[in-house]
Amino acid sequence: MMLQYFKDLESGIAAKIKENPDSPNARKKYALEVTRLGTRLYSGENSVAWCGVTAPFDLLSAMGITSCFVEFIGAMLASTGAIGTFLDHAEHSGYAADICGYHRSVLGSAKQGLMPVPDFLIATSCPCSGGLAVMENLAGIFKKDLFVLHVPQDESEKNVKYLADQIKQMAGFVSAHTGRPIDEAALRRAIENTNMTREIMKEVFELASHVPSPTNGHDLSNFGIVMALLLGTEAAVEISKAYRDEFAARNLELKPGMPGEKYRLMWIQNRIQFKNPLDMLLREQYRANIVVDELNSITWEPIDPDDPYMGLARRAISIPFNGNIRRRVDHLQELALSYKIDGAINPCHRGCRQGAGARGLISEGLKEIGIPVLNLEVDVVDPRDFAEGQLSTRIEAFFEMLDART
Amino acid sequence: MSDNKEYIGFACAYTPLPVIYAAGYTPYRILPMGDSPDRAGHILHDNLCPHIKRILDRAINNDLPDLAGVVFMNSCDAMRRLADAWHHIRPDDNMILLDLPVTADELSVSFFTGEIKKLIDAVSEWGGKKTVTAEIEYGILLYNQISDFMNELTEKIYAGEKNTNISVLQELFNRSVTGSPITFIEDARKLLSENTQGKATNEGVPVFLFGHLLPDPEAFLLFESCGAKIIGDDLCTGSRFFNPVTTDGKKGLVESLAESLLLRPPCARTIDSTIPGKIGNILITKAKKSGARGAIGHVVKFCDPYLSRLPSIREEFQKAGMPLLVLEGDCTLRSIGQQQTRIEAFIEMLSK
Ligand code: SF4
Ligand code: SF4
Repeated sequence: MMLQYFKDLESGIAAKIKENPDSPNARKKYALEVTRLGTRLYSGENSVAWCGVTAPFDLLSAMGITSCFVEFIGAMLASTGAIGTFLDHAEHSGYAADICGYHRSVLGSAKQGLMPVPDFLIATSCPCSGGLAVMENLAGIFKKDLFVLHVPQDESEKNVKYLADQIKQMAGFVSAHTGRPIDEAALRRAIENTNMTREIMKEVFELASHVPSPTNGHDLSNFGIVMALLLGTEAAVEISKAYRDEFAARNLELKPGMPGEKYRLMWIQNRIQFKNPLDMLLREQYRANIVVDELNSITWEPIDPDDPYMGLARRAISIPFNGNIRRRVDHLQELALSYKIDGAINPCHRGCRQGAGARGLISEGLKEIGIPVLNLEVDVVDPRDFAEGQLSTRIEAFFEMLDART
Repeated sequence: MSDNKEYIGFACAYTPLPVIYAAGYTPYRILPMGDSPDRAGHILHDNLCPHIKRILDRAINNDLPDLAGVVFMNSCDAMRRLADAWHHIRPDDNMILLDLPVTADELSVSFFTGEIKKLIDAVSEWGGKKTVTAEIEYGILLYNQISDFMNELTEKIYAGEKNTNISVLQELFNRSVTGSPITFIEDARKLLSENTQGKATNEGVPVFLFGHLLPDPEAFLLFESCGAKIIGDDLCTGSRFFNPVTTDGKKGLVESLAESLLLRPPCARTIDSTIPGKIGNILITKAKKSGARGAIGHVVKFCDPYLSRLPSIREEFQKAGMPLLVLEGDCTLRSIGQQQTRIEAFIEMLSK
């Protein structure tokens, strides 16, 4: 089912780009690569690794592995609208309904035999303990080998070295499974692509912070987190360039992404992954533009192609969900100030202890710089009890408050 | 023997207690007990495990002895968020959050050794005096002794060789992690030699108990009142806690401590990457060995590490043909009490 879904989507998007090659198409190029990744994962023709969110995807791709964090599949299942059956299945198999929906859906899908059997799995302790648990469970279900990366909490040299050593061991584990030693030239190329993508993404984010913003609230949704999967490839460089050129042109021609942008918002953690009316409500009723998502930023330095492991380790440690809450709040404050936002929305994804558990302190932290936060109670992948009415009322009250401030 | 007066709080069974003791403090486990009003959810979120919410409630409501500091382990998301929230409500407290590896391989042991060294530096600074190796060695000896006593007592009580109530065991455990280790050792020694010999009278159905934590002694009485006889456990507020540190002279002391802690009987958050889902296997092996006819798993609500592993744990019990009752609770007696009928029905089923 998913293979067909990705294939149909891929040909549809490719046709649209072909139809109109000169019109702005950065998001389409991005979506095309995402669907291609999906096709590769489900085609049965590639070596596949299911991974945790902070695995080094560029290294894995240089080693000939099609790799992906499993939450991506959860998000895809949500966007197809078919996720309910997988969630039901997981719950009937004994997984508690209050664990993260991304993980529940993936477990449901694996239990139903609808998830590609990987060659091996790589778990990462960051961002969450739920993510570790799902990988251990999947390794048990698929009866495949598991490698665990423990991502320490801060970027001290000692910690970076510790993770770098683990990543080296991981590369050995991968080689042992593929029977191929690491191809140093391919790794170098991948790291160079990663660095190039990093530079261009930085420009993209800088352009996006322009007032009014060249983004339309949707252009960059899920972008930062999903681009991690494409790092190391030429496609990632191309996608970033397309965004950069498109945003630069919009800024130059004074053609904002959302004409009449009234409020600028920051979205904390994950977007709601299934079709829902809130996006339109924000856009049309309140002229509120989500100009930045928490993970749309570059938190890491270029990686040294001569010694990539330390840089890969530093990058994994640097993600804002890692470490203590002050670190995350500082990052959010920085984004809030550079994007000149009026308010932030935190969906407090129901099963996420890492994220929802930080709700109160994130609100306090943004209050320090005068930014109000709207905390919603929603499961971002589970549409089964989406409380549209309640959420709209909360959104309405939030904008009344913002109106009163202006 | 003199004893340490000031307390340092801790919340996880992986905490290196001998180091805290060596620095001149008494480790005090902040158990999720008491009746502090429910306020932690506002700072954290209601969907966090009641273990950490209750600990935070105790801090918010000052339901704690004076603490010279707190040591948290980064064992799961909830614990990490607890450390953040603790710092928020008690910003002046000395506090350290130690990173806890997920596995127990060589790299992890060496990393965790570094984390324990960080703890040594921190507690030395809090106390204003350097903690020396001999003191850590003494701390290890002391806690090894506590482990030995507790293990012996546990074995005897479970085997019915001590004519004492099962809840006594939990009271002892709670004392061993909240009070002076020296006083505890003296009392435990007395208890072991005291004439409480003779068969315990409980004729209930033998049951194995597992889960994260169940610190309320009354909970054990409740199980017994339902017709169960607890004859073994795998609880972090129970037998899993006591694991002597092995020092072999080849490794450094701190490294030995790190290795022993990482290799202790694991809870659900710890992974053996070579055997995914090992926890289920460990539990069924222990349950069978105890001679239980069935098992009760007490799982804390919203605890990802345990909830996520429950289906594979269930599978193991099913495969082995051992009946299993899972109770989801919030660490309180009340929440177990609400499930009394289920417990009774389970025991009745086992007794047929
Ligand atoms: S939403 Fe939270 S629990 Fe779920 S995968 Fe992301 S960080 Fe983990
Ligand atoms: S009960 Fe579970 S979620 Fe709570 S602190 Fe312990 S391991 Fe973490």
